[in-house]
Amino acid sequence: MSKTVLSTRGLRKTYGKRDSKFDALRGIAIDIHQGESVAIIGKSGSGKSTLMHLLALLDKPSRGEITLHNHPTANLKARQLNTIRNKEFGFVFQSFFMNSNDTVLNNVILPLKIAGVGYRERRRRAISALKTVGLDDKRNNKANDLSGGQKQRVCIARAIVNDPKIIFADEPTGNLDSATGEKIIDLLFRLNQEKGITLIIVTHDHELAAKCSRQINIKDGRIVADSANETLEAENDDKEEFKDNDMDDMLDHQHPTHHINVDEEEE
Amino acid sequence: MRMLDVIYDANANLLRNKLRSFLTILAIFIGSFSIISTSAIQAGVNDFIDSQVDSYGGEGYLAVVSNDSFDALDGLQNGMGNNKTPIEYNPDKIQTGMSPLTNEQIEKIKKIDGIDGDSLAKEQTLDITYVTSEETDKKYLIAAEALPPGNVKVSLVTGKQLNLQADEYQILLEEKYVNALGYDNDNIIDKKVQLAVKDDYTHKIKTFAAKVVGVIAPSVVSMGYQYTNNKLADDIYQENIKYYPEDMKNKTYAVAVNYDYENYSADEIKDKLEEIGLSAMTVEDIIGTIKSFFDIILTVFRIFGYIALLAAAIGIINTLFMAVQERTREIGLDKALGMSSKRVFLSFSLEAIMLGFWGSVFGIILSVIIGNIANAVFHAPGGFLESFPTFHLVVYTMSDIISVTILIIIIAFLAGTLPARRAARKNPIDALRYE
Repeated sequence: MSKTVLSTRGLRKTYGKRDSKFDALRGIAIDIHQGESVAIIGKSGSGKSTLMHLLALLDKPSRGEITLHNHPTANLKARQLNTIRNKEFGFVFQSFFMNSNDTVLNNVILPLKIAGVGYRERRRRAISALKTVGLDDKRNNKANDLSGGQKQRVCIARAIVNDPKIIFADEPTGNLDSATGEKIIDLLFRLNQEKGITLIIVTHDHELAAKCSRQINIKDGRIVADSANETLEAENDDKEEFKDNDMDDMLDHQHPTHHINVDEEEE
Repeated sequence: MRMLDVIYDANANLLRNKLRSFLTILAIFIGSFSIISTSAIQAGVNDFIDSQVDSYGGEGYLAVVSNDSFDALDGLQNGMGNNKTPIEYNPDKIQTGMSPLTNEQIEKIKKIDGIDGDSLAKEQTLDITYVTSEETDKKYLIAAEALPPGNVKVSLVTGKQLNLQADEYQILLEEKYVNALGYDNDNIIDKKVQLAVKDDYTHKIKTFAAKVVGVIAPSVVSMGYQYTNNKLADDIYQENIKYYPEDMKNKTYAVAVNYDYENYSADEIKDKLEEIGLSAMTVEDIIGTIKSFFDIILTVFRIFGYIALLAAAIGIINTLFMAVQERTREIGLDKALGMSSKRVFLSFSLEAIMLGFWGSVFGIILSVIIGNIANAVFHAPGGFLESFPTFHLVVYTMSDIISVTILIIIIAFLAGTLPARRAARKNPIDALRYE
C-alpha cells in the first residue's frame, strides 16, 4: 500500500455558538494515500466543502486531527501552513478565481510570486505549466478573453506550477458544459497518472466521481460510504454523539489536540 | 514574496481604478503642495533674513537702550488708543520720548560678563544736510550712520568693506546714490562725494569729502542708511553738536556692543542688562517683525495644508476600504495560495503609501515649478523683488522636501492601516465564498 499523505481522525467542525450552533462535520476519519484520486460526493450542505477546506488546511477543525505526511498539523504556525498550501497543494475552484485583467501568464505565476521565486525562474516554470495544459500560446492574452474551459485549464496550470503533491478541486467542472468538463477531467487525471499528484475532488457530478479511484460519500457531516473502506462506517457511530455533547462545555477551553482520541479507532 | 513584487503590485493595483486613485492622489497633492510651498516660502524668508543678518554682522551685535524708553508709551497712547480722558502727568515716570542712558549704566554695561566692553559705541545720529559730487549740480538728502562695532559686513555689489579705523573719510553708498551722483558701479570706487553738514546754531555749511569704497547691495536691515567709517561719523557728529551745551553733548540714547555669542545666549545678556534697567535688541529682534508677519501668513497656509491632508487621509481610508471590498476574492485566493496575513497587510499599506508618495511627489514637483517661475517673475524688471536680487521668495531645501514626503507617507500609512487590517483579517474561505 502506498504512503498516506493526508489523514484525519475524529474531524468535527462546528459553526456558530449555542442556539445557532451548526455541526458541519460530525467525526470524519479518512486516510488518503499518495497517488489516489478521491471524489468527495454529497449534496449541498452535506459538509463536503467544509471537509475539503479542512483537508486543504484553509480552516481549523473544531475537534479532531489532520496529519499531513504523518505530521500533525494542529500546532503548525500560520507561516508553516502558508508554506504547505503554497508548495504542497494546488487549488482548482469552480468559479476559477482569476485576476481577469491580468495576463494568463501572470495568473499562473501567482503561487510562485507568493513563494518569492525569482522573475526568470517563475516565468520559465509558468510557461512549462501552461504547456502542460496546452495553453502556452495564450500566455500573453488577458485572462478575461479566454473561454470557460480555457480559464479552468489556466487554473490547473496555476495549481501545478509549484509541483504540488495534492490538488484540491472544488467542483472543477461545475461552470463548464459537459464536453469542456470532460477535457478538464481528462487533464486532471492525466496529471494524476503522469505526475502522481493526489487528486481530491469535491463534486456532485457522478460521472466525474466515477472516474476517481475512490469515492467518499458525505451526508450530514458524516461519511456514509467510502469505496476504499466499507467498514469505516463503524467509526461514524452515533454512540459518541452524547459523549461529545456532555463534554462540550468541559472541553471548550482545551486545545483541540487534547481530545483527538475520542473517536479514534485501531488501524 | 519579494518586496519588489509587492511594490510593483501595489502600483499596478492603483492603476486598476485610475479615476479613483487619481482623485485620492489629487487630495494628497493639494495638501503636499500647500505644505511644501509654505515651507519653501518660510525657508526663503528665513534665508533672506539670515543673509541680511549675516551681512550686518548679525551675531553678537546688541543695540542697547534704556528701559524707560520702552515704557514711555504713555505719550503715544495719549494721542491714539481708546483713552476717554488724557493721561495724567507723573513726575516720577518718563512718559514721553527716549530716555538717555546714564554714564553709570554705560560703565556697568562694559563690565557685564560676556560683553566686549571695548566694542561699546555710542549711537550718534548724524545730521547730514545733503550729498553731492563733482559730477552733478544736484544735491540729495542722505541718512548715514557709522557702521556698528564688531565684525559687521555689509553685503556689497562692488568695492570693499569700510576700514573703520582708517584715518581718511570712507563711505558705503547704495546704488541709487551712485547713479544720482553721476557715476555707475564700475567707476565710483575711490571717487569722493561731498557731504554737507550744517551746525544747528550758525547754520554754516561744512563739507566733508568722503571716499566711496563700496556699493551696498539692497537690504532691509540697513533701512536706507548709508554707512561711514568711524572718523567720518565722529567728525560729522562733532560738527552737529558743536554749539550744544556740555551736558547735552554727552547724552547717549543708545549704545551698540558686541557680546560673546559663542559662549552666551542673547537672552542671558539681555537678562543681565535688564537688571540695570536696560533693554537690548539683536539684529534678529530688529527685523523680527518682518519675520513674524510672514510667519502668521504662512502658518495659516500651513494649517490649510494639514486640513487638506487630513481630508486626504480620509480619502485614502475610503478608497482602500472600497478596494478591499472589491478584491475580497482575490485576497482569499492569495491567502489560500499561501500569502501570509502580514503580506496582505503590507500590500494594502503599500498602496496607501504609494497614494501618499505620488500625491506628495506631484505636489512637490508642481510647487517647485511654480516657485521657480515666481522667483523669476518677481526678480524680472518691474517685479516686486527686482531690487533684492539675493532674495529668493521660495527656497526648496532637500530636508524640507524629504521631511514633507516622509510626513505624508506616514499619514498615508496610518490611514491605510485600517483597511489593510481588514484585508489581512479576511478568512480565505469566507473571502472565496464572497459574491
